[in-house]
Amino acid sequence: MKTGFVFDEKYLQHIPFDGHPECSQRLIAILKGLIDDGIMKQLHLLKAEPANQRWIETVHHVRYILRFEEACSWGLPDFDHQDNSICRDTYDTALMAVGGVLKAIDSVMENEVDNAFCAVRPPGHHAELDKAMGFCYFNNVAIGARYLQRRWGVDRVGIIDFDVHHGNGTQHVFEHDDTVFYYSIHEHPSFAYPGTGREFETGIREGDGFTLNSPVLPGSGDTVYKEKLMTDLVPAFEKFKPEVVLLSAGFDAHVSDLMSGTELTTEGYDYVNRTVIDLANKLAGGKVISVLEGGYNLEILPLLVANHIRTLMGD
Amino acid sequence: MFVSETMNTNLVTVAPETTLSEARGLMKDHNFRHLPVVDKAGKLVGIVTDRDMRDALPSSLLSEDEYGRTFDRVMEHRVSEIMTKNPLTISVYFTIQDTLMVMGSKKVGALPVVDGDGYLKGIMSTRDLLKAFVNVMGIGEPGTLLCILVNETPGQLKKIVDIVTEENVSMGSVLVARYWDGEKRAIFPYLLTNNVATIKKKLLEQGFDLTDPMKWYLDQLPKKNG
Repeated sequence: MKTGFVFDEKYLQHIPFDGHPECSQRLIAILKGLIDDGIMKQLHLLKAEPANQRWIETVHHVRYILRFEEACSWGLPDFDHQDNSICRDTYDTALMAVGGVLKAIDSVMENEVDNAFCAVRPPGHHAELDKAMGFCYFNNVAIGARYLQRRWGVDRVGIIDFDVHHGNGTQHVFEHDDTVFYYSIHEHPSFAYPGTGREFETGIREGDGFTLNSPVLPGSGDTVYKEKLMTDLVPAFEKFKPEVVLLSAGFDAHVSDLMSGTELTTEGYDYVNRTVIDLANKLAGGKVISVLEGGYNLEILPLLVANHIRTLMGD
Repeated sequence: MFVSETMNTNLVTVAPETTLSEARGLMKDHNFRHLPVVDKAGKLVGIVTDRDMRDALPSSLLSEDEYGRTFDRVMEHRVSEIMTKNPLTISVYFTIQDTLMVMGSKKVGALPVVDGDGYLKGIMSTRDLLKAFVNVMGIGEPGTLLCILVNETPGQLKKIVDIVTEENVSMGSVLVARYWDGEKRAIFPYLLTNNVATIKKKLLEQGFDLTDPMKWYLDQLPKKNG
């Protein structure tokens, strides 16, 4: 498999307050890990460009986009909530993150690469139409799904979100929609941010049955993840038959990540990688665009990302 | 938190002389299971529930004809004949905690709220109460629940609050479970943030025991015999 890799120095320029977990050191650690591992040489580097605002508008309200741009240019300390720490470059970085995902999509759809991993930040899956949440400003994956439909004429997009937090933003964008299936496995909303993603949230009206949530209780590990993916994700995707799969790849469900109470091991993550990528290979002809979301333990994040990319490469 | 702030004041009431037909229509239209009955001055004189209404209806085992005839006759009766007179009420000065205790001990699904002179001011249903507790627990807003085990010595909560404050994070609520492990307590702060890694790290550094909330819960379940 020829795997594309999106990275840009711009992604390091969104600098939140000191000690914020969603920091540029995350990407530096990931890059270093990929270089040391020798994987970087085998990847096909893709050059991101800032996303055109018209694609951002397929998900976010124009007034929200302007409000975000203004907050950054005025030098405000945070946006919508103190979790969302910003600097003057945050807006441009977020545009470049979306642009990176769109570039990866183009490269996969043009068969330049088979699949791709986007080492982008800020992350996106908590971002709502008109509200920044949980370190997220633009919903990279949701915009990617709309782009696949409008630019590339794809009918059915499948999103798999294995970040330990529920992707409230992504769910809300597509909950009325029967052309985008959103699946998420995450720590139970009674215990973890953002408090959504219960089993009974299955979509609304024509979108009913096209949202599926597998909340897992704190303390759950590999066994529960395996069981949920097999009983929930696999049959749902086999029925939906996505043409392209987008991954909201979060590595914060790991036992060593203090951001969550789940206890997925490195081997457990290998199982998640294998399951979602095998599924995409079988159903979507291998068209997978994986987008980084969370993962905050800098000691383990590089290894988890390297293992994930290795699975994308077909190792 | 007084019930006056959370009770339903969008009242639909009936008079003692209202017919069952009209009362039944109001219940159906508004999807209410309880109708307070007030006199002309607005004083509460009774309450009529969907259960009272069902008891007054003819048996469903009757033939269609017989049922229809009896039904029409029943519907002409007055609310005063089936209502619960002098129902259990709560005062506008009750807190939601008081209401919780009352509803838990008496088998009622809604409580009329009256002032000192017996005038109806609102009604508090179990659903209104649940809403109030969602609000008290702060769980309508995104956040993260921690479970911290502490020794039963003064000053533990302060240390936790200090750490949370240092990180500039707001608290939605704090629950404390007593009688944990004899000398321990479990503290559950609900933090209105996604950013819990630093707080958890600092708590661990200060020697706090971060436990799995599920373990705490399961430990409280009665052990199976044999």
